[in-house]
Amino acid sequence: MSAQRVVERFRKPSIWFHWVHTAAFVILLVTGAILFLPGLGAPAAGGITRVIHRICAVVFVAAPVVYFVFNPKMSLHFIKETLTWGKDDFTWVKAAPLYYFGGSEDKMPPQPHVNTGQKMWQFVVLSTGALFLITGLIMWFIKGIVPAAVIQWCTIVHDLAFIAAFVMLLVHIYLGIIHPRMTESLRSMLDGKISVHYAKSHYGKWYDEVAEGEK
Amino acid sequence: MLVDVTKCVSCWWCYAACKNYNRLPETIKPDPEKPPALSPTVWTTLKPIKKGAEWYSRKQACNYCTDAACVEVCPTGALSYNKLGFVQYDKDKCSGCGYCAEFCPFGVPQLEGNKVTGIAVANKCTFCIDRVTNGEQPACAEACPTGAIKFGKRSELLEEGQERVELLRKKNPGTMFYGDKQLGGLHVMYVLDDSPQVYGLPPDPELPAAATVRDVLKWVGVGAAAAAVLGFVLNYVIAREVIMVSELPGREQMSKKKEEKEE
Repeated sequence: MSAQRVVERFRKPSIWFHWVHTAAFVILLVTGAILFLPGLGAPAAGGITRVIHRICAVVFVAAPVVYFVFNPKMSLHFIKETLTWGKDDFTWVKAAPLYYFGGSEDKMPPQPHVNTGQKMWQFVVLSTGALFLITGLIMWFIKGIVPAAVIQWCTIVHDLAFIAAFVMLLVHIYLGIIHPRMTESLRSMLDGKISVHYAKSHYGKWYDEVAEGEK
Repeated sequence: MLVDVTKCVSCWWCYAACKNYNRLPETIKPDPEKPPALSPTVWTTLKPIKKGAEWYSRKQACNYCTDAACVEVCPTGALSYNKLGFVQYDKDKCSGCGYCAEFCPFGVPQLEGNKVTGIAVANKCTFCIDRVTNGEQPACAEACPTGAIKFGKRSELLEEGQERVELLRKKNPGTMFYGDKQLGGLHVMYVLDDSPQVYGLPPDPELPAAATVRDVLKWVGVGAAAAAVLGFVLNYVIAREVIMVSELPGREQMSKKKEEKEE
């Protein structure tokens, strides 16, 4: 059992993209939350947070576009991975609660590059991203042109996307950084590497493929 | 405030007085054929209707709803209810989000700003709050030469207006009162000689459903986040405990013994 982190899990462009997108998204969440969640509105007075929200919105949209242009294969793989669901996912969902509350690791079915939970998060990122983008564009550029009711319901959709993305981001942060079992998750998103042991126990299916490829 | 269309002579003094008192630009008497709409620099205007050779006008500004959509959706508290029970606007607190403009059933708040950067501020009638709280009338009411705009206690004006409608109905059965029950009761009420639509008033204004949905959603958001955090704490405590116990050296020996026995 080697503690050396030698298995490459993420490449540099993906890591950079992850953190740029995260930074933009967190600032968007905060500058949005003050307009949405009750009692937080005071810092929005004067409108500076609205400017920040828009600058980050541009980064939030531009980052995946840039990533896609330079890594089209990887991007398409990500989308395909997110949208492919099967029987294994059902097995994972059944086994997950026990596992996340500390139950035996052996009872968890071996996982591919991302497990079902991570796929759920990726799905939320993609779908809420699309909803944020569409409703955001409408509220930014054609407010006053479209009927008021359209803007009213755009704010509702934007809010719903906020709730889904915000709660799932909390889950993502908790599992990535705090959960006692995810010891190498955060570091893997910093230098891209995990140990053989971690790869085997968390992403068995994927590790077998990697090991196979190296032979 | 009670606005009596049958007393209005379309002199536009209310419009001019509003501009003058609030230091808004341009006070030339407008052409009733092209009446200025509410805008960031027009907080009070007239909605003129030509009937035969005569002009009839409704003074148009904020109606000060009792159940105000703008207050409901304003995230910063720039729009709030004051002690007198009507909507109060604190421009310094405005974030420029424009929700009030989008949700107001009368289309009163007017957003002014930069479309690209999003820096903006809403403008609307303030009910001349500084005058009213110092025992004076709003500028428009004071300027009105015919008593078509009357400032006073809502309950008294409501009674007066309804009596006036009763009286006018004898000659014109189409006369009606507006503002007694709309949106919990408006603080600007109208004596109209015609249907509300003619004067650009929705006959049955409602708090937009989306405003109510938003009100619920923000608490759903708070609840979901709180539930998630609580879940994490529980999960962390339990998972750490279970993992620690399963990794105790004694545990390993015990399971080994068990295996040996089984063998």
